[in-house]
Amino acid sequence: MTSSTDAPPALPSSDEPFRPERSPFVWLFEREVLRFLTIWRYSVLGPVLSTVLFVVVFGSALGRHVDAVDGVSYGRFIVPGLFAQAIVNVGFFNGTTSLFEARRDRYIHDVFASPLRWWEINAALVSGGVVRGAVVGGGVLAVALPLTGGGSVARPLVLLFGTLGVLLVAAQVGVIAGSLARSLDHVYSMESIVLLPLGFLGGVFYSVRQLPPVWDVLSHLDPVFWLVQVERIGLLGQGDVGAGWALLVVWALAAVLSAWSAAMFATGRLKP
Amino acid sequence: MCPVADGKPPALLVQGLSKTYGDGFTAVAGLDLEIPDGAFFGLLGPNGAGKTTLIGSVCNIVRPTTGTLTVFGHDHRSRAARRLLGLAEQEINVDRFLSIRQILIYHAGYHGIGRKAAVRRADELLEVFRLDGKAAARAYELSGGMQRRLVLARALMHRPRLLILDEPTAGVDVELRSEIWRLVKGLNAAGTTVLLTTHYLEEAETLCDEIALLRAGRIVDRGSAALLRDRYEARDISEVYDRVITGEEVA
Repeated sequence: MTSSTDAPPALPSSDEPFRPERSPFVWLFEREVLRFLTIWRYSVLGPVLSTVLFVVVFGSALGRHVDAVDGVSYGRFIVPGLFAQAIVNVGFFNGTTSLFEARRDRYIHDVFASPLRWWEINAALVSGGVVRGAVVGGGVLAVALPLTGGGSVARPLVLLFGTLGVLLVAAQVGVIAGSLARSLDHVYSMESIVLLPLGFLGGVFYSVRQLPPVWDVLSHLDPVFWLVQVERIGLLGQGDVGAGWALLVVWALAAVLSAWSAAMFATGRLKP
Repeated sequence: MCPVADGKPPALLVQGLSKTYGDGFTAVAGLDLEIPDGAFFGLLGPNGAGKTTLIGSVCNIVRPTTGTLTVFGHDHRSRAARRLLGLAEQEINVDRFLSIRQILIYHAGYHGIGRKAAVRRADELLEVFRLDGKAAARAYELSGGMQRRLVLARALMHRPRLLILDEPTAGVDVELRSEIWRLVKGLNAAGTTVLLTTHYLEEAETLCDEIALLRAGRIVDRGSAALLRDRYEARDISEVYDRVITGEEVA
């Protein structure tokens, strides 16, 4: 090693606030985006491809033998649900794996020891998941809509605010799960034991009005049902519930999960 | 308010620090410690004595159960305090998704440094630590000695006033160890306060202005190496350590 000539900076007075040249939050957010772009084949291409395959196989191939749902071809009917499932999956996994790996590798110590505030760490992790979900969701729609006949978005504002809410829900759940997970087994089992069944039972492939009354009611207790509904109303203009209710439930979920996640960071629950 | 000698607050002031973990283990029990600005301070003690918990508490990695901690007069939780602290942990805890150069740049960013300055400092430190040939590599591709140099370089990226080194030479060869000490001594001479934990007692004796002996979460004695030797009528710090730490443990 050669000698370092860097002298330490002058001491700030005890009441002098920290004045960053560039926001530490922006740096951490940038790192979160860079993280998933570094592994883009897995983080972006894979989810887009697998969702598009669902559209092709279930919608285009098998869909010819299935009746239209409320006047919409089956292939087009399942696109909103698959879109919702795709962004929920990647948003969830982004938060979970990013935080769990940072904890496991203890790289998060570097973040905790820095001037980053708790809410900036929380916001950067969640924003990373939201951006990844938006990129994957955009990719899915860009391919799936032309494949299923194209057409315009029925209710763009519902789609916009609904998708933002869905992205937030997924990323917040991911961050909460990433803070609670104690092993990789926890991380991956959450997908297969919790997320996947909720997705399949949440009306991705069917309208709950086609179900017996009991299952119709039970479906409303599944949070993924509401995430699917808001996307279906946004894209197709129709769903099993009204647009107002769908938006209200999705944003209420987002608010509750954001409060939970914030409380964990604010109280230092991630630290021993 | 923390004591201020000669108008300068101490680099680190710890008062009544206790930490009991969730499983009931008390790692630190009512610890008081003051490290003057500009000191090269050694913290010695066996595994489990509370060194890492103390360091974690200072650096906001561990939540203290009780106690107050100030860094150059700032509450240790404040952003101003954290800007002044640099930590090189014993473990190689680096971001696996970033290159070596990016690890340094983003660390500077978390401390509020702008991109141009961060890039310039990263390139300077890569050269200082002879890692410039590996700038694009990932940390897991480096040798153990290089990883150790990376962790130290990262701790220096934001030019901390108080540099905390937790076993910085554990597992490194003799040549690298002497290189690290030469660099750290240079930083201390330039005004950086250094808090060092090490199991190499002879190094602590040679390098440190003052040494504290930590046992069962408490400071049991402290002073310069000469003072401690005189106090315990010992030939060197190893003998002092044996009497104060090992002897007490046996008793």
